[in-house]
Amino acid sequence: MVVYRVKRIVLESFPVLIASMIISLVAGYMLNSSIQKIAELPIILMMIPPINGLGGNIGSILGARLSSALHLGTLEPRLRGQRVLQRNMAASALVSFVIFSLIGAIFFTIAYVSGIPLVRSLSLALAFFTAGIVLTVAVIFATIISAFVSFRGGLDPDNVVIPIITSVGDVLGVTCLFVAIIIFGV
Amino acid sequence: MMARGVNIRSIVVQGISILFLCALIELSAGRVFEAMRGYFINLLPGLIVMVPPLLDLRGNINGALASRLGTALHAGLIEPRLKLSVEIKANLISSLILSVITPATIGLVSFGVNLLTSAPTIGLLELMVKLIAIAVFAGFLSGLILALMTVFVAVASYARGWDPDNITSPLMATIGDFVTIACIYLAVFLVV
Repeated sequence: MVVYRVKRIVLESFPVLIASMIISLVAGYMLNSSIQKIAELPIILMMIPPINGLGGNIGSILGARLSSALHLGTLEPRLRGQRVLQRNMAASALVSFVIFSLIGAIFFTIAYVSGIPLVRSLSLALAFFTAGIVLTVAVIFATIISAFVSFRGGLDPDNVVIPIITSVGDVLGVTCLFVAIIIFGV
Repeated sequence: MMARGVNIRSIVVQGISILFLCALIELSAGRVFEAMRGYFINLLPGLIVMVPPLLDLRGNINGALASRLGTALHAGLIEPRLKLSVEIKANLISSLILSVITPATIGLVSFGVNLLTSAPTIGLLELMVKLIAIAVFAGFLSGLILALMTVFVAVASYARGWDPDNITSPLMATIGDFVTIACIYLAVFLVV
């Protein structure tokens, strides 16, 4: 018996892909409007794939663990008094703190070696780190909300959380990075 | 009792190792992205708008393919051998069709966004054709490379006794970003 049919896969996937395309276009539009800043400091472009990728990965890993816990019944879809939820959130926050410090340090080195002055290199790395932490907080809450809402609505969170979080991570990643760069006055 | 199931230490150690590896690959993707800056800034307005959607698309098409293959391998619908069975063929062909029609839409919509937001520096028809051509070429080429890799990684990890659900998606999402940016670079180089 043939289970997978081309027509069905294509027809079911296309609307989801278009919806997530529209969300990521916002991220693309933000890049386009900041083209002056990028021309001045091209290292910003180098920061985009890591911050988007890490934001998406942290959310996807948390989402996968929460989905499994919801299916297993060790987690209930409500916010209060959930030790499993608290521990998962703490683990994600700790991972993100370590990883954004490490990558921030790598960016400081790259910036300084490529001839950007010391203070500016430091504020670039600090802007990347701060953007990463703010992004993590936002991604953790977006993951919890999408996992709980989809589970309560009778959908399988395994199918819903990851596509939503990767697209949301793109938009928020680019937004947090540019806001942090403006705040730190890089 | 229940909370004992969540071992923070192992999540943190595993998480940091995998994410650090992913971050290094993403850094190389970032390096290629940075090398393309001349095209974004001077040559082709609207090009940078397409990059996040194309990256995202890649992850979504391959993530879904990886997820379906994981389920099919667990359910025994696909044998863990590198043979082009009917089921694998249907999965591959659908991913490739999606890798053409969605990038074409992305190219067209990016042209629209560009039309609404900035003054054109080259002919409109030329800009539209170029943006769509870059999106479709980069989308299809990266789609082909990554779909074959996804099948290989899913089948190979299952044959070794690993759960493809845990391996294929994170690995392919990260490799996907790098391959997609490299394909966009190649497409821009050929088209512009």
